[in-house]
Amino acid sequence: MADTKMVSLTIEGRTVSVPDGTTILEAAKTAGILIPHYCYHPGLPVAGVCRMCLVEVEKAPKLAPSCATTVAEGQVVHVHSDKSLDARKGVLEMLLINHPLDCPICDQSGECELQDYTYQEGREDSRYREPKRFNPAEDFGGDVIYVPNRCILCTRCVRFMDDVAHDPVLNVSERGDRALIGKFEGKDLTHPWASNVVDLCPVGALLSKDFLNKARAWELDRTASICPNCTQGCNVTMETRENQLVRMRPRPNEHVNAFFMCDWGRLNYRWMNEKNRVEQPMVGRARALAPTSWEIAITAAARALNGKKVFVAASPMLSNEALFLLTQIMQGGVGAFRVTEGEEAPLAGVKDLALRRERAANVYGAQALGFNKTTDLLAGLKQGDVLVVAGEDLAGIEAAAIARASEVIVISSILPEVASNASVVLPIANFSEEEGTVTNLRGRVQRFTQARQAPGDTRPSWLVLGDLLGAMGKQSNFFLPSEVFASLAASNKTFAGLSYDSIGFKGLPLANAPSTGPNAPIAVGAA
Amino acid sequence: MAIKVKVVERPIGDVSYIRATLKGMALTMKHLFDVTNRATIQYPEEKSPISPRWRGTHRMLTTETGKAKCVACGLCPTVCPANCIKLVPGEDEEGNRYPLVFEIDEFRCIFCGYCQEVCPEEAIHVGRHYENSEYSREGFVYDLQRLMDQSHPVCEMWDPEDPKGE
Repeated sequence: MADTKMVSLTIEGRTVSVPDGTTILEAAKTAGILIPHYCYHPGLPVAGVCRMCLVEVEKAPKLAPSCATTVAEGQVVHVHSDKSLDARKGVLEMLLINHPLDCPICDQSGECELQDYTYQEGREDSRYREPKRFNPAEDFGGDVIYVPNRCILCTRCVRFMDDVAHDPVLNVSERGDRALIGKFEGKDLTHPWASNVVDLCPVGALLSKDFLNKARAWELDRTASICPNCTQGCNVTMETRENQLVRMRPRPNEHVNAFFMCDWGRLNYRWMNEKNRVEQPMVGRARALAPTSWEIAITAAARALNGKKVFVAASPMLSNEALFLLTQIMQGGVGAFRVTEGEEAPLAGVKDLALRRERAANVYGAQALGFNKTTDLLAGLKQGDVLVVAGEDLAGIEAAAIARASEVIVISSILPEVASNASVVLPIANFSEEEGTVTNLRGRVQRFTQARQAPGDTRPSWLVLGDLLGAMGKQSNFFLPSEVFASLAASNKTFAGLSYDSIGFKGLPLANAPSTGPNAPIAVGAA
Repeated sequence: MAIKVKVVERPIGDVSYIRATLKGMALTMKHLFDVTNRATIQYPEEKSPISPRWRGTHRMLTTETGKAKCVACGLCPTVCPANCIKLVPGEDEEGNRYPLVFEIDEFRCIFCGYCQEVCPEEAIHVGRHYENSEYSREGFVYDLQRLMDQSHPVCEMWDPEDPKGE
């Protein structure tokens, strides 16, 4: 968009140049100045109701709401001048009149914008002496609970449901100081994307029932990752407390998920905390599995694989790196995977964003690497093949089907019961415990990083498979997942030109990915 | 080669220990027979008074219904410089925020009193108490029930008459 007119203005003494039509608030962000705000959110229509973002614009008669004022040539904006500070102090005092100040028991404490801004520029005390208004907490349905006393009526939740989800459930009921967020008669927050209102809420008024009273915001360790629960590949932050995943929240990416993620993906994180894990490499001896060292197990697996026909039953949750190394181990054999399916649930207001039918992270990566998508997982397993079970739980598979294999090698986090006659078991880390990349349904390769520590002697999948490849006498010299990816990019045309550095944390499309769709920035509120 | 030591000859009045010994014995005798001004305290029957700001082992205060006042806000484990407080937040039967696990390792504790100072509910206190012997190390990890059962007086962080200590 080279023909867009650029406008120069001065914000807090810093000259910035932004495209015409930008708001002062967004322009200030480019200069590294955060103008305090509540009702404004880049993913929602501008409402201008909280009056928190008031700034002083020279030669303007009164203070301007920076979220709703577009920039003009030569404007001089003061964010922290006495006049604007005074106005914001007034707004904060008004917001705190009926606020219960129950931060010690509020889940938002530590990540609350009301707390932050009051601490930064609010009054020390309140001049209000009358009793505060009280409304009981209300269950909004879905995963959302509403605490009206803490609400500052920014209406972000109302606008999300109206303009982004296109399912008007919430409204502002009552007037004046009695106003609160209400539900329309007979409606509940059961929209499959409704939990986004919890993230959007700048205070502790809308809370997740799942996360309620589980942890304080400052105790959490946050890791950039990808939601593994469907092929959309929403960018998320995995938040852990004492090595346990306690919640997932969306990470903005204008190419994939804008600012949102669906409830199903958000709440489906417990499988990554699974306790029932294989923690030691094992080899089959006298009809039972015995724990052993990594060296012995890898050598045994290499001996079983070398020169044999191999069939790989892979999981579409595995990273591109692991799947690539599996194709090297196959030695011309066949690989297949199956995927759980559910109902597709789009978010109406955002183009090409939905909870997808296929509920696994790397279905498209597996296909790009030559694995066949099938419903009958072991159909391709021939009599006498070596069966490699990689990450697949083998649920619903009969022992008779497995018996066709001459030998079974399990490379997985959890040992499937039907595979207890395996000759070698190599425990690998699960999605939250290792680093790698996955490919989403539009061919976008995205990185995820390690959020938790793997239990016991478990190792990352790329490391185990790399060692196995080396033990089989093949070229293998990997010390980092980025090196595995570099090798993949060098040998596979579809992945050519990509590297961990160039992918970054926003992802990059594959060479053959369509140029439209979410690889171009998606518009919020467009549809 | 042996080192030659110079021996200084001093007058007998300076080097004799007899006078110093007698002086010491006189003091001992004085205290032995002075019944009104005993220096020895007959511990444990007698105890010397401790300061109202003494910071000893913790106590959790309770509400009228006998429940801990703690709301599991997580400020004490956050402020604790010795990292001796373990808190797992959860909910009680009525759905209020409540500690599922609240443990203080009194061995790790440095008795700084920050936990009492930071507590918004005035629930956790350091106590005016110093008799803490136990038969095992585990006994020094006080759980919520133990903290609630303690009955010794709690520390006054500051003199209410003179809060700034002037």
